[in-house]
Amino acid sequence: MGKVLNIQPVSRIEGHARISVHLNDAGNVDDAYMSLMSLRGFEKFIEGRPAEEVPRIVNRICGICPWMHHTSSNKAVDGCFDVTPTPTGHKLRELLQVMAHINDKILHFFFLAAPDFVLGPDADYSVRNVIGVVKAAPELATQVVKMRQLGQMMIDRFAGKAIHPIAAVVGGFSKPLPEAERQAMLKDTQTLLDFGLFTLDFAKNNVFNKYLDVIGELGVIKTGFLGTVDRADGSFRIYDGKQRLMKPDGTYVDFEGDDYLDYLGEHVEPWGYGKMPYAKSWDEGFSLDLENPKGIYRANTLARINVCDQMATPKAQEALEEFRSAFGRPAQATLLYHYARLIELIYACERTLELLNWEGITDTDVRAKVEPKAGRGVGIVEAPRGTLIHDYTTDENGCIEKANLIVGTTHNIGPMNMSVKQAASALIKDGNYDQGILNKVEMAVRAYDP
Amino acid sequence: MSGKIRLNTDWLCDCGGCHVAIVDLHEKILNVLESIEILHCPVMTDVKDYPEAEIGILTGSIRTEHDKHAAEEMRKKCKTIIAFGTCAVYGGLHGAGLAHSREEIMDHVFKKSPTTTTDTIPTVEVTELAKTVTPIDEVIDVDLYLPGCPPHAHFIFESLKTLIENREPRVTQDSVCARCNRQMIKGDAKELKNSLDGVPDEKFCFLSQGYMCLGSATLDRCLAPCPNHGVACTGCAGPTMQILTEPYRDIRTEVSDRMARLTAIDADTIKTYMEKTAKTQYAYAMATKMIGNKPTFLIKKWIADVEAG
Repeated sequence: MGKVLNIQPVSRIEGHARISVHLNDAGNVDDAYMSLMSLRGFEKFIEGRPAEEVPRIVNRICGICPWMHHTSSNKAVDGCFDVTPTPTGHKLRELLQVMAHINDKILHFFFLAAPDFVLGPDADYSVRNVIGVVKAAPELATQVVKMRQLGQMMIDRFAGKAIHPIAAVVGGFSKPLPEAERQAMLKDTQTLLDFGLFTLDFAKNNVFNKYLDVIGELGVIKTGFLGTVDRADGSFRIYDGKQRLMKPDGTYVDFEGDDYLDYLGEHVEPWGYGKMPYAKSWDEGFSLDLENPKGIYRANTLARINVCDQMATPKAQEALEEFRSAFGRPAQATLLYHYARLIELIYACERTLELLNWEGITDTDVRAKVEPKAGRGVGIVEAPRGTLIHDYTTDENGCIEKANLIVGTTHNIGPMNMSVKQAASALIKDGNYDQGILNKVEMAVRAYDP
Repeated sequence: MSGKIRLNTDWLCDCGGCHVAIVDLHEKILNVLESIEILHCPVMTDVKDYPEAEIGILTGSIRTEHDKHAAEEMRKKCKTIIAFGTCAVYGGLHGAGLAHSREEIMDHVFKKSPTTTTDTIPTVEVTELAKTVTPIDEVIDVDLYLPGCPPHAHFIFESLKTLIENREPRVTQDSVCARCNRQMIKGDAKELKNSLDGVPDEKFCFLSQGYMCLGSATLDRCLAPCPNHGVACTGCAGPTMQILTEPYRDIRTEVSDRMARLTAIDADTIKTYMEKTAKTQYAYAMATKMIGNKPTFLIKKWIADVEAG
């Protein structure tokens, strides 16, 4: 009889997951799974609630990326009630969402991922964490904490709550941006951009160059990609645009969010609460087979960096060009998610500056008039962890009749399972493994930032 | 290392926001780390088991056998257990599982969703969902409660300092109104407004203007960010102590009486509206017996009445 290795909880990720690796008699990997351990069922219990209240409720799906649920839910309800937000309301929503991306990237790279690279994947588990980083590099750690504070406080001051936001409303935003606050944000964002550029440099020299062999091997699989791009020119976008679904060979189709049901399906396996989205429109079914996967695409940073034609801001574009000349398009190596995440950090800072400098940003016309009514709306944004879809139908009182949600992380559940299996099979041979090896299996998951 | 207070944290069924709130003590977290040694904390460290510790922070509510097991392990190993955040204290938003059976939820998510193309309900490798969502004190003894969704950094820091310095916490049991800058006046609103009706005047209390706001029935663990930024309170930190401790007082009796005094709207009209929208008004605390066992709380009947038209 073989044996089962359980890694539970998978740590330094943002959700609840378990990895189980099934070994055969010879001690080699037969199979490996990563299963999500939790289910809440928001789709069901928002039914019957007034739709305009829902953008404040669905935040609680994820405390790490509540802004993305907040904005995509507002966009979905806009659709149900057939309302177009005022231009300023629209831009303020994007501003806050892009700012939230800045903080998320800093949190993930330094607090969750960095211990593996700053201290090394084989460092003892008791120090392989952000507290270990604080001890090993106190100045850097203090700087990181300050930058995250700067980012969160910017949101807190203007929008009241950074975690579980309330300030975006159906039809736009709840309050205008005062000029003094805009000035303060400009200054803080410039500081964050400088820090972002420092971080990318730091990571290039200390992580990506140093771990090139690991990057080329760990958790590597070949899949398609899904992301959001500008409707007009295919540039990288995270708040609004069209969806782009790319095949592993780099060819792609673009579609409007409203039509997502024609392109995406979800597959359920008996071994986890996470549903696994797949590309239904490829007409090849669903398979996680490592040699010959079917219907499998990935979302999140690497996917967005792969599907876009270019970055819409200059410094991020420079970084993308360097990335593409080194790794090609589409890049497949799983650990490159970290690299892509830092290119997005630069974009998020630059885009924040762009939005703050937009002439109408302090306009007081922040909210369009809204009448509750029957309708359907699909709201899509890019959450840090992938394309986030809220699809609501309302009744004649404007209450939710039915809802379908595909949250960012779920797009990657299938691929994460493949990466876990790939990493475990490559690393565990003849029954030999240690905690460093098991941590490397976790690193294959951590890159996806689930 | 010695001399530091040891801390374990774990997340049960939740969104992770409470743990981010702890990270968001920002510079103060570096301060806290001088006195506290963090051991088990899945979002931050790779410690997989539960070492002995002085403090145990539990966020989230009990949804599965796995959650129950984790809560019990934490209780065994930690001297002081803090139920941290609204989910741990009251069950939280997904306590709405109370209004829907787990079968309904599973069926909806895994079979009826328009994107799902399989007909499978997960049964292996996962732990079964409990029949309903419960606050953690239905499974283990809890020493301290800190509700909030998430609790504001001010209260998190105060509670950690309290434990480090071994003293009583300096917190009040005020409602959200205590920190709200809006002025309560007698207004002339004749009809209830929903949040889509116009833009509320930022100087005056939402209730005075005819807008539903749960601030006066909600414990302040947030410093009132919502009403101070143009949006009414939805009660995410759970009800005030008065509401929890008196059997015939609950959120709708409390708010309807107050709003009727501040407007020209009849208290019964307000009460009926709150019953019709009970899933929203009781969103965060319906899973706690402190609300659920009240003779005045009939959420299943209210939902059935709405469905019957």
